[in-house]
Amino acid sequence: MAVTTRFPVPGSGPAPVLQTGGMTLPAQASLWSDAWRRLRRNRMALISTVFLVLLVAVALISTVWTPFRMSAIGVTETYAPPSSAHLLGADELGRDILSRLMVGAQVSLIVGVGTQLLVLAIGVPIGLLAGYYRGPLDSVVTFVISVFYGIPDVLVAMIMVFLLGPSLANIIIAIVATRWMDMARLVRGQAMSLREREFVEAGRAAGARPPRMLFGHILPNALGPIIVQATLGVPAAILFEAFLSFLGVGVQPPTPSWGSMASEGVAAIQYAPHMVIAPSIALSLTLMAFNFLGDGLRDALDPRSRR
Amino acid sequence: MITRGMLAYIAQRIVLIGFTVLVVSSIVFLGIHRLPGDALFSEKLRGSAYTALLHHYGLDQPLYVQYKDFVVGVVTRGDLGESLVNRGLKITPLVVHELGVSAEVGGLALIFTIGLGLVLGVFAAVRQNTWLDYLLTTTSVIGYSMPNFVIAAFLILLFGVWLQNVTGGTFYYQLGGWKGDLGQMWLPAFALGFPYASIVARLTRASMLEVIRQDYIRTARAKGLHESVILIRHALRNALIPVITILGPLVIGIITGSVVIENFFGIPGLGHEFAQSILNRDYAIVIGVFTMYAALVGAANLMVDLAYVVIDPRIRY
Repeated sequence: MAVTTRFPVPGSGPAPVLQTGGMTLPAQASLWSDAWRRLRRNRMALISTVFLVLLVAVALISTVWTPFRMSAIGVTETYAPPSSAHLLGADELGRDILSRLMVGAQVSLIVGVGTQLLVLAIGVPIGLLAGYYRGPLDSVVTFVISVFYGIPDVLVAMIMVFLLGPSLANIIIAIVATRWMDMARLVRGQAMSLREREFVEAGRAAGARPPRMLFGHILPNALGPIIVQATLGVPAAILFEAFLSFLGVGVQPPTPSWGSMASEGVAAIQYAPHMVIAPSIALSLTLMAFNFLGDGLRDALDPRSRR
Repeated sequence: MITRGMLAYIAQRIVLIGFTVLVVSSIVFLGIHRLPGDALFSEKLRGSAYTALLHHYGLDQPLYVQYKDFVVGVVTRGDLGESLVNRGLKITPLVVHELGVSAEVGGLALIFTIGLGLVLGVFAAVRQNTWLDYLLTTTSVIGYSMPNFVIAAFLILLFGVWLQNVTGGTFYYQLGGWKGDLGQMWLPAFALGFPYASIVARLTRASMLEVIRQDYIRTARAKGLHESVILIRHALRNALIPVITILGPLVIGIITGSVVIENFFGIPGLGHEFAQSILNRDYAIVIGVFTMYAALVGAANLMVDLAYVVIDPRIRY
């Protein structure tokens, strides 16, 4: 996300504007450093960050090297239990599970981060416009959001993948279609409360144009909740993809996804439990790390929720 | 408690639900009819048998006539049509029956979710910043980080494979029907509700912490009331209000979660039908189940909004 944090410093405005700017500026600057200080003290968030960095490294490494080719069939016996040659054993086609797990990390990260980037690109502008301008635009947006919330998300995503065809890009589109409202609603609420604040009024009075108002004044001040929401949206998207793949409408073979690996493992749960355990643990740990990090960010960025 | 304004509000919401259901089923109807091939394509029928079947389902008519017939059938008779795969099987009674099965498991999951979540949340709040609190808050993050199919897989592994001598490995078979065996139902209900129990616990903890610092709680203590009376009668009732706000997403989560869990445990409910009808390419049932789900979610949201009024008399519509 390439958003530079600009604080509402009015240029050559009249005196009262300068005063308001002067009042918000120190509070703003200390919010970020204060947040960083608090985040560093949160042990679970730190451990999670380390885990996620390692996960990204594994995903990057797996683009050039895996212990075995992820789609190579019969590198060992089918359903082979974990051994020193195949640390996590083999699946029903004798493929190395560790290699598949590593490639699966790519899928999960692409879906998780890609979805949230798109959700930001769609939800933030819609939320800003609806919350800042109110009126008929807001009514339409609110209605569309409530219609989208009225339909169970898994079903929307399933029907979309069903209609568009299962590919990684379509899965991301389908998940965005069910998740953009969270961001739009959050940003709308933030914009609605921020537009009543004095510094925004001062900006308007100083003659700032709408784009500058929205992206220079409203957005930077709503950045904290947006970051938290986006971070917590990543595990939700990863979980969603695993769901779809588990049901067979997600990433298609031979590309491994942790969800489809778990689903294959369930079929063999009686005689090869390692097949379901490995992807399940990878998935759970990743989701946990993102959730702990998101919680840590929330505690750090929202002083009211301090323990 | 029931005022004229509230009745008007309910009526307004019901109209909105009806509208949403219509929009959803229309989107699914038109979307599915855009797919290449036709519903009977895979049967390799020819000649008069094929045209007769097309006529039977009204598929020989132009799309707008089909759509009109569908909408009229749904609105006037609640008729969702007939299965394309199992000839003669009416969809409305089918999905209504399956809804009953799903409601049984989902209801149990909901009771379990709220019960466990409230108890854990209250405990964590009362013992704030002790090891119990840290244990419970950390466990709750782990709880909602575990996809329900992972929980289900581990439960099956534990009870169906590793403890097979104890359970006989048959704990999840022959489930469903209106008189489904409760003893067989708690496992799917647990898998369905556990992630949400963690969320309820977190919310309960947070709102309890806010409430127990307030003056009226101190007054209650000063009056010499027993601590459990204070917690349950005074604090919990007010702490429940934020918790109720997630009841809507919770119910929807359990409804969608049931798609996975019902397939996992072989429960013949609505979620099972949904996945099966997509796999069978039985478009008529796909549309029917979608319509049912849209109505269900609308009704659930309305119930939740009405529950606010019961819990918090300050809320009026």
